[in-house]
Amino acid sequence: MKKTLLAGVSAGLLVAAAASAANAQSIDYGSLEQLFNEPVTTSATGAPQRSTEAPVDMTIISAADIQRSGATDLPTILSRVAGLDVEDRGAGASDVSVRGYNQAMSPRLLVLINGRQVYLDHYGYTAWATLPVQLSEIRQIEVVKGPNSALFGFNAVGGVVNIITVNPKFDNTGDITVRAGTAGYGEVSLAKSFKVGERFSARVSAGASQSDEFKNTVGVAKALLNDPAKLSANIDTVTQLTDKVELRVEGSYSNVQVSDMLSNYAYSPSKYLTSSLKGTLAAETKVGELQLTAYQNDLTAKHVILGQKSRFENKITVVSAQDLFKIGAKHTLRVGAEYRHNEVNTAPIGGAEVSYDVLAASAMWNWAITDKLAFTAAGRYDSLDLSREGTFPAGSPPLGNGYWDRKIEEPSYNLGLVWRATDVDTFKATAARGVQVPTLIDLGALQARVTVGPYTIGLAGNPTLEPAIITNYQLTYERALPAIKAEVSAKVFVQKTEDVKGQPTSAQIDVPATLVSLPVLSYRNIGESKMNGFELAASGQLTGGFRWNADLTHTEVDDEPNTGFSAVIRTAAYGETTPENRGNVSFGWTDGAWTADAYAHVVGQHKAYALYSAAAAPNLVNVEAYTAIGGRVARAFDHGVTVALSGQNLGDNRQRQSAGLEVERRLFLSVSKTW
Amino acid sequence: MSKKKPAAALAAALLTIAPLSAHADAAKDLQIAGRALTFLENGPTGKQVLGIVFDPSKPASVAEKNAAMAAIGGGMSAGALTLTAKPVEASAVSGVSGVAALYVTTGVNVGAAAKAKKIITIGSDASCAASGACVMSVSADPKVEIIVNRSAAAAVGAVFKSAFRMMIREV
Repeated sequence: MKKTLLAGVSAGLLVAAAASAANAQSIDYGSLEQLFNEPVTTSATGAPQRSTEAPVDMTIISAADIQRSGATDLPTILSRVAGLDVEDRGAGASDVSVRGYNQAMSPRLLVLINGRQVYLDHYGYTAWATLPVQLSEIRQIEVVKGPNSALFGFNAVGGVVNIITVNPKFDNTGDITVRAGTAGYGEVSLAKSFKVGERFSARVSAGASQSDEFKNTVGVAKALLNDPAKLSANIDTVTQLTDKVELRVEGSYSNVQVSDMLSNYAYSPSKYLTSSLKGTLAAETKVGELQLTAYQNDLTAKHVILGQKSRFENKITVVSAQDLFKIGAKHTLRVGAEYRHNEVNTAPIGGAEVSYDVLAASAMWNWAITDKLAFTAAGRYDSLDLSREGTFPAGSPPLGNGYWDRKIEEPSYNLGLVWRATDVDTFKATAARGVQVPTLIDLGALQARVTVGPYTIGLAGNPTLEPAIITNYQLTYERALPAIKAEVSAKVFVQKTEDVKGQPTSAQIDVPATLVSLPVLSYRNIGESKMNGFELAASGQLTGGFRWNADLTHTEVDDEPNTGFSAVIRTAAYGETTPENRGNVSFGWTDGAWTADAYAHVVGQHKAYALYSAAAAPNLVNVEAYTAIGGRVARAFDHGVTVALSGQNLGDNRQRQSAGLEVERRLFLSVSKTW
Repeated sequence: MSKKKPAAALAAALLTIAPLSAHADAAKDLQIAGRALTFLENGPTGKQVLGIVFDPSKPASVAEKNAAMAAIGGGMSAGALTLTAKPVEASAVSGVSGVAALYVTTGVNVGAAAKAKKIITIGSDASCAASGACVMSVSADPKVEIIVNRSAAAAVGAVFKSAFRMMIREV
């Protein structure tokens, strides 16, 4: 595949040399944002839309927001978005969720870079440190709250984060940043775009960082922690093959080590090696905007699971095609198809491979009913074929590989009604059904033996596990207040999760022992969980270069396990682990060369699972309400040089924000040059 | 007292916004017009002249023309375009040349003449595009609004890029 794509690039270069002036096929976010005076997105429906008219609940974090944040990582930036829950497991590992349900190896938030999945769906989580992107090359981060499976497929259930980088075809960028900080922090990053002739453009970036892990004040076994370190690189090329056809090729690499908190809430000194290659062919034709995308993600993930070294080799191949077109003045449509292959070996006991193939068809219809009223309906149907090859460890239940021959077929939808009642008032009503498919680990790639007291027990995935179905309904009211350069919004939402996945627990045997097999602990569907809540937000600008933001999100989660299951024991007590309230207040100021911003992120009391030694059971501990304070002061100098002092968790030397390692106050001094 | 003063100030501010908007936003509207032209297939780039169409018998039209000329001044950068402007009397549109597009002041209708010349017309009044007198209407405040009349666009051979078409209102 790599050779094919590289051959395509070469062909594109040859074509470029002989061609004339180019037209655009990919979205020029910058020009459209300047035209409409607001961010634009394709992450709501697949069609380009103004952020205020998108029929989903979306927040867009701009490049300026990222720069002013003073953050050194994406989870810190996301923690300042209304309704997002972020738990730092260590100095280099975090879990992020939308409106509760956060957990170790958080599976409900789908994360992508330029539409390429960086969410690791063999295990169902995002290892944020592995993302091969420098903060300075991000154009915007699009955060969708609520399911969007109708566009993105499985696992876009709690929400979606789509990171949009600058496009070398449209954006001229150059940045080098050197950053040093307390606790041994050091970082260097570089991002540069350039053009060769009129038809070829490229962006290259690379970065490396390291720091000391947070001090181990909670009694985690020392061998389970790693000092975080990261090395990553990315290349992005755009070739205008003809006036109407464009080829974009992106490749990435990352090599990372962090202290992970695994899904059983035990720490692991994890190491990751990722690489990817993606090609997108886009053509503007008489029948619409055609787009063919193919990519492959390769991952090597090394963990220590239940005290045993585990190495997962995961490969994901995705091929998708779509056509986006407008019929008449009122109707925009998108039709698409996707094929996905996902495979991983079993571990820590090897000898087999679990994989699935997914075929999906999707469609979207946007109807501008009147100038003020628009309706959007999107649907997708996924058909998954599961399979297993290889041997079984001694003591396994007497099942053959044929037990894994199973199909999962699920529809998903997104419906949205947007009513622009006046020039300043907008109402939105949305309904969505998302599908959280069991991970390959859940379905059988986890294969281990554990000792509990005098007994030896098997630990295995469950190929009969059902996907969790998330339905979400939301009403939104947004009002612009141009007279005072402000905007306010209010949202109410209700959500239901069916077939919640419960974790294996030594307190409940799932497959009894037989004369020839060990008892087995596994994943089970344990019941339902319901959530409802509201979100209030306001932001604006004041004279004198001041800006401000405030938001509050309230959620109430009610777990309803089936008879015979306990949400607490199955490590799925989301009613207890979800804080009822979280909010943000920020204040910023820019005057000439000086910029200063301060952020306070407030999280209410909640409980959290803790497991500090292998072969124990996770228990719930109390996490008191806390306020995380961050900030940045920067001065710009001539020649594009900026010097910034920033900090995170400034309120305390050490602060408990989860049941894991306590976060530490960290300060950073950055020097960056843009050109 | 302290509670009433901000409210009174806010009310006063709201009352003063509407009368000011017609001419205070000329620069913003022209920015939108210029940038929108860059989303035409084979659209204009670089330095371009925008004809400001006015009716000398209508004081409001003349005032809007003057505001537009003042806003563009010696040159206005709008995306990939650098716009300069020249005034064009409505009666002279049939003989106009050397313009990338015509910016039609409110209350003036030169649709037929512009179509005959295959020149794109842009109005700051939504009714201009809605009625077919203009190819496109633009306004910047309180929110950017762009309306394209498909028939009028077809009549002058104007084809907008599909991404742009999906983000505007077409009639």
